[in-house]
Amino acid sequence: MRKVMMPAPARQSQYGVAPQFVTKRAAEYPEMTSLMLSDLFDDTPALIYPSEKGLSVIRDATRKALERVNMSMIKPGQSVNICASHHGFTMAGGHPYAEMLKTLHDVIAERTGCKNIRLRAGVGLRFRETEEYIKRFELDTYFGPNKAKGVAPIDEGIAIPTEIGTLYGIKAIYDADWIVHAHNSDVREVHFHRQVDRAVKPFGMSYARIETRSTYHQNLGPRGANFTARCIFASDFVQSKFAFASFLDMSPAGVVGVDADNDLFALNDRLTIKGCQYYGKIMTLLGEIDECIAVLDFPCPVPYVFAAGVIYANFVGANTDLFDIEDTALPAYTWYTEAFYGKNGPLINSIAPINPAIRMCVHNYAWGGYPSAFFAEHIPTIVVGAEQAESMNRDSQNVQYMKHALIAESTDSAMRFAYKAAKTDKVIIFDGAIGGVNLSTSLAELLVARAPSVSRKVDAVLLPKWLKQRGIDPVAALGLVAV
Amino acid sequence: MAACFWHCLRMRPCVVRKLVKAMKLVAFLATVDPNVCGGCRICSKVCPTLAITMVDKKPVVDSERCVACGNCEQRCESRAITLQKLAQSHVITVTVDDLPREQVDALCIRAGFHPSQILCYCSATRAEEVAAAIIKGAHSPEEITLRTGLRSGCSVECIQPALRLLQAYGITPTPPKGGWQWYGITPTLKEIPDAVKAKYQNHGFCFEEDLKLFESIVSSERR
Repeated sequence: MRKVMMPAPARQSQYGVAPQFVTKRAAEYPEMTSLMLSDLFDDTPALIYPSEKGLSVIRDATRKALERVNMSMIKPGQSVNICASHHGFTMAGGHPYAEMLKTLHDVIAERTGCKNIRLRAGVGLRFRETEEYIKRFELDTYFGPNKAKGVAPIDEGIAIPTEIGTLYGIKAIYDADWIVHAHNSDVREVHFHRQVDRAVKPFGMSYARIETRSTYHQNLGPRGANFTARCIFASDFVQSKFAFASFLDMSPAGVVGVDADNDLFALNDRLTIKGCQYYGKIMTLLGEIDECIAVLDFPCPVPYVFAAGVIYANFVGANTDLFDIEDTALPAYTWYTEAFYGKNGPLINSIAPINPAIRMCVHNYAWGGYPSAFFAEHIPTIVVGAEQAESMNRDSQNVQYMKHALIAESTDSAMRFAYKAAKTDKVIIFDGAIGGVNLSTSLAELLVARAPSVSRKVDAVLLPKWLKQRGIDPVAALGLVAV
Repeated sequence: MAACFWHCLRMRPCVVRKLVKAMKLVAFLATVDPNVCGGCRICSKVCPTLAITMVDKKPVVDSERCVACGNCEQRCESRAITLQKLAQSHVITVTVDDLPREQVDALCIRAGFHPSQILCYCSATRAEEVAAAIIKGAHSPEEITLRTGLRSGCSVECIQPALRLLQAYGITPTPPKGGWQWYGITPTLKEIPDAVKAKYQNHGFCFEEDLKLFESIVSSERR
């Protein structure tokens, strides 16, 4: 068994408990080990980052990807907004995404002569989050005075006529002659977007106003939600400003490459296939876990802490096939599912229970800034430290969270209690370990044993089904021979 | 809480929301440092309850209307606003049981919601509570927030349910003048034109299937 990978240190942020209160990480326990994605699946794609070459590979890959992109529409006297989203800054430490943004700035300037290149970085529900990243990665210095700006869904809006009616974007996203969509292919919220138009999602989310985001999560349904994003992107208004897209191509293990295109839907098709391929196997494998304690140990909101590239929100739904858009209408966790819990439980029978394998959750280190009461309500949860509990109580989005959770004074006491109460020694740690997962030896043995059969099942049965459901011919996409 | 905790440990459906009445605890108050404030007015444009007015180019917070969502603190350009803990917290909640059940249910259903459906993921406010608030006189999203706690957390995800319920009650509210609180109602799945549905039928959006799902929720006899 491998040694554990020590997670990134706790980080100062207004959205989480101060680092001095994070005194122990779950990966420090002697019973923990680690697995790399490549230990589990032979076909794990080769990474360009992390690597010994450092960030230069990201710059090189971005430049190479941009060689096939047309930028002739951008004139020297015009303005360009490079539009980014918060999540990119949480992947692989955030440096690769920041480097791609900096490279985009440089290449656009070199090739077009344009001098007015700005950064507009959208957020989830933590309205100053990208302001923190802009400082941390020195993007304000790189882009120049007043050129780098965090934007939020409550900022001034702009009406966007679409083929289903008027939706609303954030005015500052579109306040340039041209926009460049700088994103990533991490599957992440598959419970929301269902890997349908994944590449387009920010147009309905981090670039969008509250009216649009509410449309996504309340009006269009659990499988139609991401149509909101397509409607906005396909609108005449956005098309008149869209120049091209550049994506960090992600696998659960790390950065695979950079992809760029003037045709976002063409790029989306490529990423849809890769997303199902890369993430489908590890998500299916995590669904094989029969019992465990889940430890949250990463500086981001509860649902977004991740292990083996899979976010906790998806592990909570790992008892269902999140990629199956026909049989899994409602994932065990998504906001539509949460909405459909009545006062006495689910309003209809077809709502899947929360993943019963999660016997207990130890909230060792995770932020607020996302409505997370649902998780504590349905999964026995122990929050480490009164200070962390208080940080959740102070959060207007989590006023209910601690109503459902217990407080332990230390990681040691939380883990002792969890082992006794959950009656399992299997532990999975959502600490964002890059390239793999920290976990208990007992759980590692289970995953290693199950991985080959999961791999075969995904290749032969699930992946072709997932692609077909998304209008992609699996024979053509995967180079398979038709039977 | 402890009973529910062990209930959950046995992996049976949790019923804690039956025990915890949907309510928003307001324990903080937005507080402005006028010496730091640059007078940009953004705080007043993003406040979901119109609790902030400008007096002599400085914001003044109405403590009776502040629901401690934090929008002003989060968007203040000069970081002049903080949330200060109240000596005495208070709770926002609305009573449903003193209204005719059929009236409340009918309004929810007209808007496309099950009465027990949760509309606000931060405060766990249910459709019947918003309906009750509207029937009792909350005729704008701002008044709904003050009476139910809806939009008092993230303030992002639940504007459309508020507007849909108001519309179903026959009210077309006007967005706050000069504010960015909200701009307008948006389409629902029901309103997507057939031609659009046909155009994207092979993309995986499952419009018709999700419509049936919504219908099954709204018609559920459960509470």
